Amino acid sequence: MIGSLALRGVRKAYGPVVALEGLDLELRVGEVVGLVGQNGSGKSTLLKILSGLASPDRGEILLDGEPILLDSAAAAARYGIGMVHQEQSLIPNLTVAENIFLDKAHASKRFGLYNWPALNRAARLQLQKLGVDIPTNKRVEDLRFSARQQVEFAKVLAIEEMVDRPPLILFDEPTSLLTPDEIQALFAQINRLRARASIVFVSHRLEEVLEISDRVVVLTDGRKVAERTKQSIDREELYELMVGRQRVDPSIQHRDRHVTGAAPLLEVDRLASEPHFHGISFKIGRGEILGIAGVLGSGAEELCRALFGAIKPDAGTIAFNGGASGPGSPRAAVQLGIGYLPSDRRSEGMLPGRSITENAVITYGGQYGWKSWLLSRRKEREAAQRWIRRLKVKMDKEGAPISSLSGGNQQKVILAKWLLGRNLRLLLLDHPSRGLDPGARDDLFEVVREQVDKGLSVIFVADTIAELLELSDRIIVMRDGEVTAEFNPALGALPREEDIVAAMV
Amino acid sequence: MIGDRLQLIRSFAPLAFLILLVAASAVIAPGVLQPDSIIGFISDAAPVIALVIGGTFPILAGSIDLSVAGVASVTGVLVVVLNPVFGPWTSLVVVLVAILFGAMQGFVHTWLQLPSFIVSLATLSILSGLALLLSNATAEPVPSDDILVGILGNSVAGIPNTAILLVLIVAVLRLAMRFTRFGRDVYALGSGERAALMSGVNGFVTRTLLFAISAGCAAIAGLFLISVTSFSSPTLAGNLLLLSIVGVVLGGTAISGGVGGLFAAVVGGLITAWLRIVAVIIGVAPTAQNIIFGLTALIAVALTTERKKLGVIK
Repeated sequence: MIGSLALRGVRKAYGPVVALEGLDLELRVGEVVGLVGQNGSGKSTLLKILSGLASPDRGEILLDGEPILLDSAAAAARYGIGMVHQEQSLIPNLTVAENIFLDKAHASKRFGLYNWPALNRAARLQLQKLGVDIPTNKRVEDLRFSARQQVEFAKVLAIEEMVDRPPLILFDEPTSLLTPDEIQALFAQINRLRARASIVFVSHRLEEVLEISDRVVVLTDGRKVAERTKQSIDREELYELMVGRQRVDPSIQHRDRHVTGAAPLLEVDRLASEPHFHGISFKIGRGEILGIAGVLGSGAEELCRALFGAIKPDAGTIAFNGGASGPGSPRAAVQLGIGYLPSDRRSEGMLPGRSITENAVITYGGQYGWKSWLLSRRKEREAAQRWIRRLKVKMDKEGAPISSLSGGNQQKVILAKWLLGRNLRLLLLDHPSRGLDPGARDDLFEVVREQVDKGLSVIFVADTIAELLELSDRIIVMRDGEVTAEFNPALGALPREEDIVAAMV
Repeated sequence: MIGDRLQLIRSFAPLAFLILLVAASAVIAPGVLQPDSIIGFISDAAPVIALVIGGTFPILAGSIDLSVAGVASVTGVLVVVLNPVFGPWTSLVVVLVAILFGAMQGFVHTWLQLPSFIVSLATLSILSGLALLLSNATAEPVPSDDILVGILGNSVAGIPNTAILLVLIVAVLRLAMRFTRFGRDVYALGSGERAALMSGVNGFVTRTLLFAISAGCAAIAGLFLISVTSFSSPTLAGNLLLLSIVGVVLGGTAISGGVGGLFAAVVGGLITAWLRIVAVIIGVAPTAQNIIFGLTALIAVALTTERKKLGVIK
């Protein structure tokens, strides 16, 4: 019996952003399919659809030729589909055995009561399949990271016994936090499973994908741009395919500016915050845009947070604006003139229930009043209006709550919040265009560029490499918490996109 | 646009309810609208409103202060106990002490990152115990030389001075909320704490001030109470704890923070005080009144909770 799961013409959009378009994909038992693509190419959406966490807007999912409905994680589990999450999904204060059977109906926990000996026995069996020896009654929080990964793995494998068909196992970036030895152990497990399961393996590291997969699928902008067998592709070609249609238009006129040789605004020296990043050193001048390229988990986002005072570095120094040490808290950063556009807009960027104006003036409105605590509501509103107009925010009226705006317009208001600061010197942009349509993105970047020409410095973690090349004066590439490459487009040498990707993965 | 109208209905529903409640009572018992009854009602309502205002502030920023009734009780006791030391200015000193205490409570809550619910429940117990201890669990007459209590006991042109002071306090707080950075930061913390902190809002100072205001209002509520009864009892405000929370919610201030304010607090306080009149009119035994208020609290919270906003109910 050869089981197979097939997607036919699957489409999924989040508002105006199309995450997947007309996707056909076949997953067969006995085969490892490697899935690659840049950030935002639709990989995670595809995994969500397969694991029942998202429903496609269009298209169908066929199991052995029969259409099925995957509308919840439980439904997916019933069909034998399980996912090993990148960020572990275990509950730390439950035991290993409880975690393994948490999402499954099992004989040992009937009627809401645990039969502990039976549960532990069943869990031990699952762990034995992996050839690991972890006490099943130990709490997950007391385990080492690699052992937790094994438990996560065992939890997914336990699906095998729940259904009478070969399981489909999805690996979402399983190797990003593992040591080389642990990666080899993981690959051994996958190879052991290969014959009796179908496996999807997602990774940014192309060597790994090529090593473990039988077939590689490349996604770009939500479409499948290539599907190759392992034998018919090499690393170089895979890069080209991944970068694909987003290749930079060589006609893009890069801003021809010379950053003055005056003292740098920010000097970072061997900065470290384990486990996110370490040994990071760079300088940024006034009126310069420093782009940072890096995949999820590269440490670029955490670096931004550390510069904003939201993460405390373990080692190294930050010198800001001629000697002052780095901010110890976001509040201190605000006072130093450092702004931060967070990637998590909803919970860190905006005050959902408050008005558009209030969101714009919350940080620097005091500068328009008296001694920063008595407000001038008229002056600060005028300032907010100026920026809101300048950024072309589309809205009914400024008194409406910010949550009534579209994502792009919300992002513009959050940018306005920082630009209101009269002494803003450094702006940290963490994935500023995430979820934005091209028009809103262009409005946003236009204003950022204009401010940079007036002396603002910007550190920019981009969603796509095209964006990075478009905006940055200088680019550093981070991988696994370290700087792996540095490019200097402002000096005339526009790097090739392939070179950047090569340093990222 | 539909959202706007809903918003409007939301903020004026409590006021409409208050008017409806008063009208209904007047139909059953026309006497409640006599000038004398109204004056009596105002004296009766002033301490409740002051407590509700005090209770509202921390809630706006997503915290809660359960100790307000304890502060009110201790205030009454201290006015008597400290009279030999501070003489006619005792009550003023006591209010300042209460404000200082509130600031400390806010500081402990934010600095040690303890849930305000637990911190203020603990201080409620401490304060109630302190009131009993300091007063030897006996009621005492309020010293006649206390200036502030003396003034509060009088009236100008028929209007009780408690009401006048209350209006003054509301006006000052209203200005502070509208025209200072503090006022805006309170709402910011209540509607999204992470985003507020990432926007440079000073959580420590704001919360410390909030709890100081809360305790200050509670102390003034305590003065209102003893100015009416001219007796200070250690359990003076004992049954006002639940009432103060009921008032906050009935006014339309969301327990989850960020929605509501002074107007809501005043309306909520008036409704709560009037509910006590209703309880008398419809003949609920005084011993059974707390049951009515408890049920009202449940219903009010159920009606005003924005369930969409809550991820996890604690």
